[in-house]
Amino acid sequence: MKKLSVLLALFFAGTVAAKTLVVGLSSEPRSGDPFAFNETPTNSFNYNIYDALVMLDAHLKVKPGLATSWEVKDPRTIVFHLRKGVKFHDGTPFDAYDVKYTVDRAKNWEKSQFKVYFKPIKEVIIKDKYTVIFKLSRPAPVLIRDLRRLRIMSKESTEGKSPDYIAFHPMGTGPYKFKEWVKGDHITLVANKDYWGPKPYFDKVILRPLTNDAARTAALLSGAVDVIEDVPLTDAEKIAKNPKFSFFKTDGLRLIFVGVDVARDKIFKGKTPHGENPFKDVRVRKAFYYGIDVNGIIKYINRGYNSPASQYFPSTVFGYDPTIKRAPYDPEKAKELLKEAGYPNGFEVTLDAPNDRYINDEKVAAAIAADLAKIGIKVKVNAIPKAVFFPMVNSNKTSFFLLGWSCSSADGAAFFDNILHTRDKEKGYGRFNDAGYSNPTVDRLIEEQDTLMDQAKREKIMHKITRLTLKDMPYIPLYYYVNLFAAKKGIVFTPRADHVMYYRDFKEVK
Amino acid sequence: MLEIILRRLWQSIIVLLAVSLLVFVMVYVSGDPVELLAPPDATEVEVAQLRKALGLDKPLHVQYLQFLKHALHGNLGYSYVNNAPAVELIFERMPATFELAMMATIIAVIFGIPFGIIAAVNPKKIYSKAIMIGSLFGISFPTFWVGVMLILIFAVTLGWLPSSGRGETVKVFGIPWSFLTWDGIKHLILPSVTLAGYHLALIVRLVRAGMMEVLLQDYIKFAKIKGVSKKKIIFVHALKNIMIPVITIIGLNFGGILAFAVVTETIFAWPGMGKLVIDSIHLLDRPVVVAYLMIVAVIFVIINLLVDIAYTFLDPRIRLK
Repeated sequence: MKKLSVLLALFFAGTVAAKTLVVGLSSEPRSGDPFAFNETPTNSFNYNIYDALVMLDAHLKVKPGLATSWEVKDPRTIVFHLRKGVKFHDGTPFDAYDVKYTVDRAKNWEKSQFKVYFKPIKEVIIKDKYTVIFKLSRPAPVLIRDLRRLRIMSKESTEGKSPDYIAFHPMGTGPYKFKEWVKGDHITLVANKDYWGPKPYFDKVILRPLTNDAARTAALLSGAVDVIEDVPLTDAEKIAKNPKFSFFKTDGLRLIFVGVDVARDKIFKGKTPHGENPFKDVRVRKAFYYGIDVNGIIKYINRGYNSPASQYFPSTVFGYDPTIKRAPYDPEKAKELLKEAGYPNGFEVTLDAPNDRYINDEKVAAAIAADLAKIGIKVKVNAIPKAVFFPMVNSNKTSFFLLGWSCSSADGAAFFDNILHTRDKEKGYGRFNDAGYSNPTVDRLIEEQDTLMDQAKREKIMHKITRLTLKDMPYIPLYYYVNLFAAKKGIVFTPRADHVMYYRDFKEVK
Repeated sequence: MLEIILRRLWQSIIVLLAVSLLVFVMVYVSGDPVELLAPPDATEVEVAQLRKALGLDKPLHVQYLQFLKHALHGNLGYSYVNNAPAVELIFERMPATFELAMMATIIAVIFGIPFGIIAAVNPKKIYSKAIMIGSLFGISFPTFWVGVMLILIFAVTLGWLPSSGRGETVKVFGIPWSFLTWDGIKHLILPSVTLAGYHLALIVRLVRAGMMEVLLQDYIKFAKIKGVSKKKIIFVHALKNIMIPVITIIGLNFGGILAFAVVTETIFAWPGMGKLVIDSIHLLDRPVVVAYLMIVAVIFVIINLLVDIAYTFLDPRIRLK
């Protein structure tokens, strides 16, 4: 009898203590292989299972992870001191061999989508079990940040396993262990009791992909899930006002902007008096800047949740210049500029935009057209599926386009390299330079900051690049994305600009 | 019987060839999957590598011939997005959809036929009019709206039924089923009712129209004069004669529900193949789309065959030739 009551007590103690968090995701992760897909839902999921050498805190500043410290010996050599006594979920110990193995897999596995970040690593030298030396092919100032993506896998347990196996058997040293994946229905994670860092509060986390916006909101309102990400803009206000729920909001990393074709001599899609390309004249570009009512778009289309963008990335990103402000909407000034440029009666142009990529992308394009109509520009909106849109604009078959970009490493270099630098396949620059912008001074500065280890000096150059290109204005920043989360009252966490959800940061307060 | 099955088999091979060719061309013209798959940070060299790894660097006809060659070996391709063979992905999701479609069809039939009969026998009564108006709503309301409304009423406001997912499942022969647990059944109710709505309404209207027509015929009058009970006239003599079009519609609809439960599955986060295929279409994951449509084509061929066989039981004059 006594035995039974002890057993019962244990049983109930167990059930009472097990704290479960159910999360409604807006998209399902694609793989538990940390290098198979580089997209936010997959990365966010894997960050809970794996640890990297470094982490980014809630303000996206670098802090130690599996490396307790590191020294930059010279611009091409970094020494990492590894954390001792860390174990993978299957009990195998973590050491320098795992780091070398993971770098190799991230760089050389044919399907790795993370090659670009680790390209500067020429060689990984194992000095001893807990010290690794990275030899670099060039000075790489963003590498330390990017190492956050190098989620360490166990050499002992993973080597020789097929990618298909790894994809559904994720195993790292992180705060949560993978338990079960019923595709399309749910993923179950359980707390790693031996985690080296602060122990997670929730013992069990269940992730449920609820891709339909209305369904995700309904699941939260009906109590089926505790937290949802990407609160639909149409439901946000209602949830924010409901005392039964907590609402979380932070600026995201993604910038929504428009660009214009500055390369061609003739206008590609549109009509001007002599068929010339009006965007060759910087005054026309400036007129567009003043003529688009960004605050109006935010207020009337995105329900007031976004922040207008003064530059290419928000303040959480390294390289942000706090002294740059966005000039207010000024249609009179825009008309003046157009008149000066020789277009008192405006001209016609097509605005290419995706209709299934960014939140409200098509509506935003229509609003831009309406704003520009007020300064005499006749804009035809061509909103098409992303699968057609991207191949089209990335081959510069556009005169005027709407695009989004997020500096996912929280370093502005990604925008400079991919969008502002002259397109150069060999060097890997300008893949999304859809405006065809080319400024030798800017190119030189971009290449300089890409190999400058002195971050203070580098930041100054980055500010200079931003200022120079905003003066040329091939791209007009509009607004930053907003990350919205909602949870049952009592659940607290810090929403992050990079949109990653670290479930170890989630707590419940009464 | 064997002859008809063989003939259907031959027809289905032609259908499959046509479907696969169509999907290949359509995906090809709708955009470039590599642009969607490659992360934005990747350099152009890496994008080219990815294109090559997926075999998308070759001209379309070469890709198609390669696909046919692999298909003959039973391999319909490897999903670009999901790290798994396309067929495996679809079969993994099929039981969930099958369960939902089956439940929806059962609801549509067990309510649709009696309602249709009631509305036909006493067309002037107020409840008959209510049934007909209800069926009009059932046909006209879009599925997504009905689904969202049901969620709003039964999940959010009343809190009686869950709004999403499959709930607790029990594995039989390694396949998880929801209808074997109470929690699973609760999860099944809202999506299957949503899915059944349109088909229920259709069956009501079809049964009513057929019944009204048949009830006026001479043999029914004769039976009445002979003194056969009203019950027997309706359920034996009349019903049997109106079942052929009804069975055809039930069969076709079952195929339709199975293949295109997309909207309902998305709203209720039901992990079926409809949801898989809509995601695959968005990402231009061609192997999955091709495999899916080919499997759907086979399902339709089989259902039509079953419907034909059912005819012979209902009407002895029909013989399968």
